[in-house]
Amino acid sequence: MTLVRTLLVNGQRHTLAVEPFDTLLDVLRDKLNLTGAKKACNVGDCGACTVLVDGRPVNSCLVLAVEVEGRPITTIEGLGEMREGVRELEPLQKAFVHEGGIQCGYCTPGMVMAATALLSRNPKPTTDEIKNALAGNLCRCTGYAGIVRAVQRCENYRDDGTCAAKRDGAHVPGRISRESAAEPGRYRSVGESLPRIDAVDKVTGRALYTADIRLPGMIYGKILGSTIAHGTIRRIDVSRAAALDGVLAVITGADVPDTTYGVSPARYDEHVLAKQKVRHVGDPVAAVAAIDERTAERAVALIDVEYDELPAVLDVFEATADGAPLVHERYARNIGTEVHQHFGDVDAAFARCDHVREEVFTGNHIYQCPLEPHAAIARWDSDGTLVLYTSTQAPHYVQYMLAHVFHIPVGRVRVIRPAVGGGFGGKAATTPLDLCAAVLSRKTGRPVTMRYSREEMFHYGRGRHKQHMTFKLGVDRDGRIQAFSSEIYLDGGAYSSFGVATAYYAGSMIPTLYHIPNYKYDGYRVMTNKPACGAMRGHGVPQPRFAFECLLNMIADDLSIDPVEIRRRNAMDPNTRTVNDMDIQSCEFRATLDAVEKKSGWRSKYGRLPPGRGIGIGCGGFVSGAGYCIYRGQVQLSHEKGPEPFQKHSIFPHANAIVKISEDGMAAVCMIGAAEIGQGSDTVLAQICAESLGIPVSRVRMRSEDSDISPIDLGAYSSRVTLMGGHAVSRAAAAVVEMLRPYAAKLLGCESSEVRARDGKMFVEGDASRSVDWAEAARKYFNENGPLVGSGCYKPPDGLGGDYKGATVGTSPAYSFGSAVCEVSVDLETGKVRVERFTDYHDCGTPINPQAVHGQVEGAIVMTAGETIMEDVQFDAKGRILNPNLHGYLMMSIKDAPEIFSDLVDSYEPRGPFGAKEIGEGATLPVLGAVAHAIANATGVWIKDLPITPEKILAALRERQRTTDVPAAAAVGTA
Amino acid sequence: MYVPEIELHECDSIEQAAALMTRYGGEARLLAGGTDLLVDLKTQRLRTSHLVSLRRVAVLRGVTLEEGNGPRSAGAFVRIGALTTINELDAAPLVRRHCAPLLDATREMATDQVRNLATVGGNLASAVPCADLPPILIALGATAVIWSRAGERVIPLETFCVGPRQTALQQGELLVAVRVPAARAGFGAAYARFALREGNAIAVASVAAGLALADDGAISELRIVLGAVAPTPALVAKANTALIGRPVDDEAIERAASIARQAASPISDIRGSAEYRRELVDVLTRRALAAAAQRVRENRT
Ligand SMILES: Cc1cc2nc3c(=O)[nH]c(=O)nc-3n(C[C@H](O)[C@H](O)[C@H](O)COP(=O)(O)OP(=O)(O)OC[C@H]3O[C@@H](n4cnc5c(N)ncnc54)[C@H](O)[C@@H]3O)c2cc1C
Ligand code: FES
Ligand code: FES
Repeated sequence: MTLVRTLLVNGQRHTLAVEPFDTLLDVLRDKLNLTGAKKACNVGDCGACTVLVDGRPVNSCLVLAVEVEGRPITTIEGLGEMREGVRELEPLQKAFVHEGGIQCGYCTPGMVMAATALLSRNPKPTTDEIKNALAGNLCRCTGYAGIVRAVQRCENYRDDGTCAAKRDGAHVPGRISRESAAEPGRYRSVGESLPRIDAVDKVTGRALYTADIRLPGMIYGKILGSTIAHGTIRRIDVSRAAALDGVLAVITGADVPDTTYGVSPARYDEHVLAKQKVRHVGDPVAAVAAIDERTAERAVALIDVEYDELPAVLDVFEATADGAPLVHERYARNIGTEVHQHFGDVDAAFARCDHVREEVFTGNHIYQCPLEPHAAIARWDSDGTLVLYTSTQAPHYVQYMLAHVFHIPVGRVRVIRPAVGGGFGGKAATTPLDLCAAVLSRKTGRPVTMRYSREEMFHYGRGRHKQHMTFKLGVDRDGRIQAFSSEIYLDGGAYSSFGVATAYYAGSMIPTLYHIPNYKYDGYRVMTNKPACGAMRGHGVPQPRFAFECLLNMIADDLSIDPVEIRRRNAMDPNTRTVNDMDIQSCEFRATLDAVEKKSGWRSKYGRLPPGRGIGIGCGGFVSGAGYCIYRGQVQLSHEKGPEPFQKHSIFPHANAIVKISEDGMAAVCMIGAAEIGQGSDTVLAQICAESLGIPVSRVRMRSEDSDISPIDLGAYSSRVTLMGGHAVSRAAAAVVEMLRPYAAKLLGCESSEVRARDGKMFVEGDASRSVDWAEAARKYFNENGPLVGSGCYKPPDGLGGDYKGATVGTSPAYSFGSAVCEVSVDLETGKVRVERFTDYHDCGTPINPQAVHGQVEGAIVMTAGETIMEDVQFDAKGRILNPNLHGYLMMSIKDAPEIFSDLVDSYEPRGPFGAKEIGEGATLPVLGAVAHAIANATGVWIKDLPITPEKILAALRERQRTTDVPAAAAVGTA
Repeated sequence: MYVPEIELHECDSIEQAAALMTRYGGEARLLAGGTDLLVDLKTQRLRTSHLVSLRRVAVLRGVTLEEGNGPRSAGAFVRIGALTTINELDAAPLVRRHCAPLLDATREMATDQVRNLATVGGNLASAVPCADLPPILIALGATAVIWSRAGERVIPLETFCVGPRQTALQQGELLVAVRVPAARAGFGAAYARFALREGNAIAVASVAAGLALADDGAISELRIVLGAVAPTPALVAKANTALIGRPVDDEAIERAASIARQAASPISDIRGSAEYRRELVDVLTRRALAAAAQRVRENRT
């Protein structure tokens, strides 16, 4: 029974019709169009929907709207004083903007509301009080460090609204490397810790994510997933669903194209909806479009499906056993991808080694869990163009895949990427939402939106592959690596997705960190009846890196060599071609080791801590952009021509930018299809654009969200945007400056070649007093030539990689390096681990925005430390996920996050724009090994099976007590 | 993931609420803070077509100090209205003064947002085995005040939960309050819980200990209560009989821990195996008991 109620929201009375079962969150978002509060879990676990009722924070997803009638409700949109029609930012909001409290921004409104309530009852909270108050707000991006800083330093932002005076500089080194060291002050924008350009929109709730957008006439879709892990569909009856009031379309496998899709061209093995076979619980079977999401959800439940169930395989060893049921007929023994690489001669080298150790390690099944659930809106324009709004980190690949599935030219697909609430690899592929929304929209003639619930996200999957690793490492008596061999079984789930690349990455990155003269890798990516795994932050590498770092630490202890020292002895050098033909240019790995050793007080701690306390080290690095595109050939529909044979150079530029100057010369619009997903690429690219143009960042606007406006950038994966997108943007901007030079020269009375641009001026080199306004030169250009537009592009260098099978994977123009020291305390009675502290040094080349770099490091540390000790998607014997939610799948809360010290070593990458490399993924890699080592150091037992849960630790301690008399913590690092 | 299309009934008094509940019989549920109920409805763990909202029933809210008249509470007791939220409980001066060990639970459970909604009555009436308030309330010797048209009945809280998600409430009955004996000399209690995450994680195992010591230091009453390791919060009566009359020394603590461990009947689930939970019960019992003993000493001085 619909009720008419008055809600008091942000000081305004709204009398509106509500249903008794409507939650406050749905009413705010859907009826009052206040979309600042987010629906990220819908059951109280995440805090993204936090609003204040009577000044107290509550989860608006857990409150019925009618229950708060007449009580004052404050949402993010209601913060700040109204002044002349504009809301001023509250000091707390300013603090979030300036202290790095915001990345993707999806947690931000909830976080700010919870912190607002805290500060109003306790204006000077202690750090513990802050953490207690915010423990109900999950953030997947920031590692909470910037958030804690923002609340702590909120006071600094009162009155004048700047932080400059009181900011304690401890955390932002802001160092800029060699090139500028030679000429201090050379750069204006690059190297500055500027706030994100989208921060104000995110901190006010104005930023629109896909689920916040409502198009006229828009309807809602839902997907029905398989309830069984493996089987064939005998019968689907949609009649009850179709008959439900408000249902506009129901589709099944019969209504979708026969074309399969996926990620790796040789392994397109997914159908939009199951044609016959279902391969995991949640595999899309049918979809519905209805007037609202509630109706769509009800309709989906009315679809009757009968299955003929087949036996399921849920683990790699089961799946590869003789006679195991096949997930796909085409993959014998369920092995979708097999890798065999051998460089040098490991057997001969092992025979010569002074010490060889072999261990078996097991990874865990990690899900990216971006805070924003995937969402899409599809619409077909009257000229036949498919327009898709989607929460993606790789808009071009989505565009390409939609063209492929629907057999339309790539140019007929327009992809719009609204604000994205985090990806971490989970939004790197085209989703069933994208495809089903397009099919349903074509069928109904209306825009169709579809969103995953948190549970559906888990069923869609594409998380980290669980890897089973047998590693063997041989060294001489000084600990110098002679040979390494590895055998890895990757649990791939039901579809290939990114898995081919994953299987190669798992091997290819190991020899980039240490010199390994003899190297062998055998990898098997195995299909199982679980949601497909894909590319997650550090793609394929974190688990092997964890295993390798653990093994190296074990060997160091075996030989009584300090773990930092053994790394120094093996560390990669600059300008090296690795044994597997990876081309390393800049490398300051040793500097990170030296720095982390010193800063963490390693020498006074390792082997000297009491039982229950431990310290450990781990290292890692990553590519700064994949050397090759995911598909071969040029940008065209793949059905047009067969794939071109592989050549060792990029057919088309991976990053492309256009810089257009407004007619008055006062603004630059930078267009590039690079996906801002929270990592800060828009900000970094704006800084590069401003620097290259010689104007302040405040005059640059980024247009990266629409493929009709921005040229192709391959997207936010393989840590490629800063290097590749950065080059494209700086080249486009340089082209603009080139066009301006003659006009400025004329005004200045000098040679074109003498003209320089900086700070919004064009001046004569060597004499900055002879200058004209940049904008004036631009106007002169426009007067004579019309639009002032420059373009630029970037192709990775030709010839990257060796000549063996799979040599392309792991190639990159540049590699990052880093070292992390972790300190933990372990409750030896319960096994509970507290990750106390991280000290991290990275070589990321020149940091374009140091605060953004530290934000990536802090976020990666907390995400990955949680991955090491608590995260794991668990399945029952029928292949059903046991924890598809944020109370069963645990990621670190603000109270779990360690204290983090992050700093950078001086480095300059000749192949990077302004000397920059990557940080986003590389920062995850040292973490697992460092945590595992610290736990071993604290307890005396190595846990080689992720996640390192309290239960496993306790079991290992008990086991050791049974077998030896060694007191706790005497075995690791006390030699 | 939507709340199904239920009808919501509002009322101003306990009588009205009870009448509505009787009218709709098994088809209705009481709605307090909604933090369990709405989650259960959205995830379809529960189906119901009517909700009776208690929000406006003001008499169910608040914390008061009352004189005792029952067998358990000859002295003063703190009466906590069923609709009192966890944060209201946490902030109540009477709680801090007279039943401070409750804060061991209120501080650790859920999140600030949830604690602003979640009620004491809901925490008990949900009868979820891992709920945090029941163990410590039982250790404190609390009773449940149950209302029906026939009048009020008061039962020991340890008899309130009768199975997972099942309570002793009969048709037409409401939980209106819990009564907690006020702190007295010679008594101390503490609650120890173990969870897999520092913030916002439910207990894998928890133990509350309520301890009364005679003047000579001998145990005169020991109430060990286990959470999350049995179908209901479990008062370990055997610990009391085994240890009564003894001093709280290491041996007694060991003994209590091993009795508690045996009394636990945990299940294995994603949060931990049954065996691990037993180990936790052992450790947590020792910790809770030691903390309770410490508080007895503090209460003396
Ligand atoms: C994110 C999250 C975290 C949580 N963490 C914890 C935690 O750490 N520890 C913990 O113990 N709990 C936790 N909970 C569970 C929940 O918050 C508590 O159990 C809460 O106290 C329930 O109270 P409520 O008022 O919300 O109950 P409701 O959801 O309104 O009701 C719960 C049940 O009790 C019945 N009921 C309510 N009041 C009465 C009454 N007066 N008489 C009879 N029956 C009644 C209802 O009909 C319903 O069946 C968590 C919940 C969420 C969403
Ligand atoms: S959406 Fe409400 S807490 Fe997550
Ligand atoms: S910024 Fe917190 S979830 Fe992305």
